[in-house]
Amino acid sequence: MKGLRLYLPPFAPDDAGAASVFFPIDGAMVVICDAGGCAGNICGFDEPRWHLPSLRRAAVFSAGLRDMDAILGRDEKLIEKMKRAASAIHPRFAALIGTPVPAVIGTDFRALTRMAEKRLGLPCIAVPTNGIGLYDKGIELAYLAMLKRFASAEKRPQSGHRTLGVFGASPFDLPILEGRTLRRSLLALGFDTVRLYGIDRSLEDWQNVGENAENLVIAPSGLAAAKWAQERFGTPFTVRFPLLPNEEPAGGLPLNPKKILIVDQQFKANALRGSIRQMLPDTAITCGTFFQQVPDYAEPQDKTFDSEEAFVAFVAAQQFDLILGDPIFRRALPDYQGAYLDSPHFAVNGSPARDNERTSKNEGYVL
Amino acid sequence: MAKDTKTRVPWYQTVRELAKRGREDIPEEFQLDTHLIWNSPAALDFNSPGADGFGVKRAALSVPGSIELLLSPGCCGRNTAALSGARDDVPFGERFAFYELDEKDIVTGAHLRKIPEAVERFVNSRKEKPSVVMLCLTCVDALLGTDMERVARKAEARAGVRVRPCYMYALTRDGIHPPMAAVRESMYSLLEKAKKDPAACNILGYFTPLDRDTEFFPFLRSIGLRRIREISTCPDYESFLQMAQANFNLVLNPEARDAARRLEKDLGIPSIELTRTYQADKIEHQYLALSSILAPEAKNIGPMLGAPKTALLQHARLFQRLYGDVHIAVGSRLDANPFDLALALTRYGLTVDEIFANPSPQDYAYIQALAKLSPQTRVYTNLSPTMTAYDAAASGITLALGKDAAYYHPGIAAVPWDQPQQPFGFAAVHRLFHEMVAALDEEAAKEGHAQ
Repeated sequence: MKGLRLYLPPFAPDDAGAASVFFPIDGAMVVICDAGGCAGNICGFDEPRWHLPSLRRAAVFSAGLRDMDAILGRDEKLIEKMKRAASAIHPRFAALIGTPVPAVIGTDFRALTRMAEKRLGLPCIAVPTNGIGLYDKGIELAYLAMLKRFASAEKRPQSGHRTLGVFGASPFDLPILEGRTLRRSLLALGFDTVRLYGIDRSLEDWQNVGENAENLVIAPSGLAAAKWAQERFGTPFTVRFPLLPNEEPAGGLPLNPKKILIVDQQFKANALRGSIRQMLPDTAITCGTFFQQVPDYAEPQDKTFDSEEAFVAFVAAQQFDLILGDPIFRRALPDYQGAYLDSPHFAVNGSPARDNERTSKNEGYVL
Repeated sequence: MAKDTKTRVPWYQTVRELAKRGREDIPEEFQLDTHLIWNSPAALDFNSPGADGFGVKRAALSVPGSIELLLSPGCCGRNTAALSGARDDVPFGERFAFYELDEKDIVTGAHLRKIPEAVERFVNSRKEKPSVVMLCLTCVDALLGTDMERVARKAEARAGVRVRPCYMYALTRDGIHPPMAAVRESMYSLLEKAKKDPAACNILGYFTPLDRDTEFFPFLRSIGLRRIREISTCPDYESFLQMAQANFNLVLNPEARDAARRLEKDLGIPSIELTRTYQADKIEHQYLALSSILAPEAKNIGPMLGAPKTALLQHARLFQRLYGDVHIAVGSRLDANPFDLALALTRYGLTVDEIFANPSPQDYAYIQALAKLSPQTRVYTNLSPTMTAYDAAASGITLALGKDAAYYHPGIAAVPWDQPQQPFGFAAVHRLFHEMVAALDEEAAKEGHAQ
């Protein structure tokens, strides 16, 4: 039964992915079109930066929809609420995020943003997520919405200054505190500036995306944005997840595994595979994911899982002797006899944001 | 004066202004459907009641031996990752399972046909047979108008175990039957008629036990009650079913009113509603009123209550003498009605400068009384977009009560007052004073070290 999950809780949804892109941007007014629970879930569980002192006043709102709003489709009322909030907080732009309620009632987000833009006198964008998709799709849609609305057509790379744009950098794929490490390692490659889209706070980074000499895509969620920038500005991009020192699996591998399964977001899984292959060139390694898998970056044996049942059946049939994946996957594999190496993935495990808060007091995530 | 929302200042009203306007003229900013709801940690309990305490999902698992199938798009179940064992130290283990709706389910309602099989597979996948399967539904089914009672009956027949729906309809939270009322009704609807026990009563309202140290239990025993049951202390499903033997229910939280009404209608168990108050004379008065109804012949109740009341007033006077210069902010993310608590502390001689809460018409008895004693107390709403501009620096607050007040006032003495066991009666006020002393002394010690 495809939708049934007897052991694995739901993964980070598309609305949370979209919100994560807007969340850190100074001047953003983020409006989650829901009754309250989605907004609570997004910030309370999927946004580890929510508790950071520098972002404690982030302007993330619930539309506060009620049954009659949904039944009667009161867009006018929502716009009025947005106008009232904008007059209080003076945002630079507004971003609307869809949830299951607008999906069910068929909200026309294009019309809503046009109306909002006119009435608020502000740039407004919308991401028509529905809470059914996964975080990577939400990030992808939010990236494209930001680029299409804000990227300045005139900007081009500056001579003598090399800027690297990084797409796919989100709390879901990048362990907390490692934004700083990532930036440092990329600067060491000779770039003068590194822009982490989804982590950095400047709206100007989006306006000036045409200045990037190169873009780096570290998760499938960033691929469409990089392709858009390539088409629009001719910016070349590369796909690579720069494994950080504590993500190298080498030290923890059991002796001579013959068949390995890596379950993670595709580009990190590929990076782990590359790292392991250097040591174990004859080992068969499969990368699997519950999220987007881009065929251009997959090997023939790689696998996407569209359900818990498919994942369990695949593992049972393949006789792996080592699995690298989030610890929560173990729950679905009580009969698995091989070795298991934990590789936590926030989009999967959903450890509460408040736990991450403990490890992020030095604001390492927001650079 | 209330501040103009066109400038970047947080909106508030003084207690005097609120009292003057009266319960029929509560300002728009305190009404939930007039503005966007700011999603800050201070408002987390409002937006996502289950995030830090008991929302519908967690509440439904209060029935001993129950398991829960959440039927929803993935996003509605995401926080359940934390509750269901993404971390090993959380208590719910494998009591959750999920059926994730896709677009086709939402358009065609196809999921409804699959639920009986899903329930059966869920039941069979667990080592122990559950007492009941709770089916948790969300806004999507609210909009689709799903008849889940019928689906639950089919699932019950197929799985051979009781199945009850519970409705996590956030869209209806301001309605006459909000989700947290509905879930209590759903849980207690499992009780079946039983022979009455005149010495038994139930305490309804909370999902965690009442503080074992409260004088409420000796008081109830003094008027002849021997079996006092709470759902949270029932060790198993059989014990839970014994709640049907109660002679009456004591309702300590208005969210349990609908459940109590249903128990009266279905099982003939009447109910009495009590209020959790922090005012010493009101606590005493409530006990006296209750005993006059339940045990009018009891003679020793007045003297019995006199001692704890006197002790509490002495405790309050001592606190006032030692810490009388404290300036308090009272939040609403705590085990109290914030307006009652603010009034109580003011009556004990303390200064409450701020309240973070949305007043309802029922709070006006407290507000009118507070207006006479502390008219300048400012009432803010956690939910207003203008609160993004709140600046604690100018407030002069030195003690924050409640997680939301502490959020606005980082770095000062704070008491979350969010107990694992529910505080009640004189004992609650004593404990609060103890915790306030501990927080203030700890902060003073920190400052001492810093100097």
